[in-house]
Amino acid sequence: MKIKGSQKRNLGLILSLIICLLSLSGCWGKTEVEELAPLIGVGLDLGKKPGTYLITQQLARPKQGGTTAAEVEDRTFSIEASSAREAYEEVYKISNRIPFMGSLKVIVIGEDAAKAGFNDILDFNQRYSEFRRSMFLVLVKGEAQSFLNLKLRNGQLPAMSIKNHMEQGENLSTFPTVRLGHYLTVLGTKSTAPIIPVVNSIKSGKGGIEYKDGKNGEEIQIQGAGVLSGDRLVDFLTDKETKGYMWLENNVVHRLINTVGIGESGVNFGGQVLKSTTKYKVKDNDGTIELQYQVKASIAVDEVMGLKKQLSEAEWIDLMKVAEESFAKEIEEECLLSLKKQRELGIDFLGIGRHIEQRNSAYWKTVKEQWQEKIVDFPISLDVQVTIHHAGMSSGSAMTN
Amino acid sequence: MVERISPHQFMILGSAVLMGTTFLPIASMVTGVSGRDGWMTVLPGFVVAIPYGLMVLSLLSRYPSKNLLQISEIIFGKWIAKIIGLIYILITGYFGGLLLAQAGDIYERSVMPLTPIGVFYLGGLLLVFYLVNSGIEVFARFSEVIFPGIVIALILNMGLSIPRVEQGELLPILSEGLGPLFGGGVKVAPFAMEYILFIGGLLTFLPTSRKELGQLKTGVWRAVFLVGILNMLVVLMQILIFGPTETIRLTYGLLVLGKMVEISRTVAGVESLFLGVWLGSLVIKISAFFFTVTWGLETVFNLKGLKWNLAISIVFMAIAFGFVRGASLFAEIGFVDNYLILPFTSVWIITLWGVSRWKKGAGVQ
Repeated sequence: MKIKGSQKRNLGLILSLIICLLSLSGCWGKTEVEELAPLIGVGLDLGKKPGTYLITQQLARPKQGGTTAAEVEDRTFSIEASSAREAYEEVYKISNRIPFMGSLKVIVIGEDAAKAGFNDILDFNQRYSEFRRSMFLVLVKGEAQSFLNLKLRNGQLPAMSIKNHMEQGENLSTFPTVRLGHYLTVLGTKSTAPIIPVVNSIKSGKGGIEYKDGKNGEEIQIQGAGVLSGDRLVDFLTDKETKGYMWLENNVVHRLINTVGIGESGVNFGGQVLKSTTKYKVKDNDGTIELQYQVKASIAVDEVMGLKKQLSEAEWIDLMKVAEESFAKEIEEECLLSLKKQRELGIDFLGIGRHIEQRNSAYWKTVKEQWQEKIVDFPISLDVQVTIHHAGMSSGSAMTN
Repeated sequence: MVERISPHQFMILGSAVLMGTTFLPIASMVTGVSGRDGWMTVLPGFVVAIPYGLMVLSLLSRYPSKNLLQISEIIFGKWIAKIIGLIYILITGYFGGLLLAQAGDIYERSVMPLTPIGVFYLGGLLLVFYLVNSGIEVFARFSEVIFPGIVIALILNMGLSIPRVEQGELLPILSEGLGPLFGGGVKVAPFAMEYILFIGGLLTFLPTSRKELGQLKTGVWRAVFLVGILNMLVVLMQILIFGPTETIRLTYGLLVLGKMVEISRTVAGVESLFLGVWLGSLVIKISAFFFTVTWGLETVFNLKGLKWNLAISIVFMAIAFGFVRGASLFAEIGFVDNYLILPFTSVWIITLWGVSRWKKGAGVQ
């Protein structure tokens, strides 16, 4: 009887505790979707007052009557504030919606803010739990605010368009896709300088690009990159220098490449990189430590220009060997441009110090304190090997001999 | 009727208690001490539990159905055993309260910042209270259901993070030599000792036939290697993805990894699902320490029953509310682990086992 009474008491207590639990599991922190303003892009510029930033927030509002959920209206605010939280407070006041940070895809850093250093204002994005480190970082020549306020021809928000470009990045492999997490990891290495891609707006008729209905909006492209020392922008890389960086960093997945202007052969080739691998070797040449890059690329030729006659089977094989050499030269040229820039800047954005540390840590310990000086003339060699897998659906020229 | 759990349940329950939420802070802890090679220290740190676990089981074979506090009384005498028991109760009770505070910290910091922290404490404690009142068999069955989910969530989190791996972050290996690895191992060893404290009290519920003792020993091996390897992979993945500097800086790196998971650029935010499953591991670990306090009170002071469980709950809540400052909580958990649990358990078990062996050899009863 005593046991039964005790069990009943236990049961009663447990039930009452469960009821308490259920009544407690209320709605703290719950926000209806309609009350949220999804944040898609953030722009960082310097404010007019010293110590302030102009923080542009690109919020999306689902379009009423839109055919898909992806259709959104632009709601972009720029706030001059001394901290990110202050800027969000102002946006909250204006929009009457809670900015939802978990949807942030892109941070656009304006040139001036990048030159002044931006880690302080970026701290919120890596600390507050709603953000994801998978968001992309891009630099813009000029102001981030102007860029995020662009009207694009396809009707997309600039931030969404950048995100889409970045996600397709590996199909071109002409610029690095830098996520916040990657940037922070590189910063943590101390010896390697971060690099962030540059996004540009393209006006019709400029840079050899023309498009219809230019008045209805602009187009954007990602080309080149900015080199940073810590969190400060030092210089920009050209398109070719950035492409060289991509080879040397083993970042090329697929690439469209041509050999126009390479070598003395009258025949030029265009092709697509099917696969590429870059390996690093630290060699000791009679007491001199050297880093050797070994780039191996598989390419499919899909354009042959300047070929005036039909070739025999043997001649075609020889021509493909010429193509291999020409592509290798092109790749080498891009790599050398990147290496030259690194020496000029005296900043190790290629991560050469890390490669040495990984492969010869004993030697690295002897040079790491003077690395900044060493990087200017550190011995580096390149070995580029290209294999042509095929030349598409035909061989020879369409012209007869 | 005396409650009993099977060797299989012992293995799963032991794994779940040993695992707890070790996978959340472990990467930052060991990388902070051992740098890039921190992942190597994890398994050796956990393996410390094997000799200690085997010592505890050998005491069980000599003193069937008695827990370590009762065995201490037989070997050391009543008063020394009471002092040991008091320390056992104080340490496990305090640590259990700190773990409850950690439950609040994890959820408030990562996914539900606006929910009052007391709700996490109360919610977690109600589950713990229910489990403790239901007895060890229910607790073991709960672990059998929840633990596979915890392991699957861990594997999924790590597997889906593979696309984020950075080049060469694990290299160079052993560039600073073997010295720093020792420090990392010492940081992990208290996790093993927490497990030993639990199984030291669990002994009264374990079978004692020769065959089953063999299975229990195998259970210790399996639990240690399963949890050790999983935790090693957790650290390895974080170093590979964040690099050592960021791994040290991240409070709960695995949650950050979960936030970076994207499946086909469509599905994101799965970290909340993982966190839901890992609530189970927190509840198991806190329950384990709640159990140890109840066993201690019963053995040392003969205090048992619902009202004492309620009293322990109040103490747990009070401790948790005393540590709402996350930074102080981490420091305190580290202090209890390194300076109370590790020395107390390692010295107590070795001494108990050694004296028991000596008495057996000398024919003293």
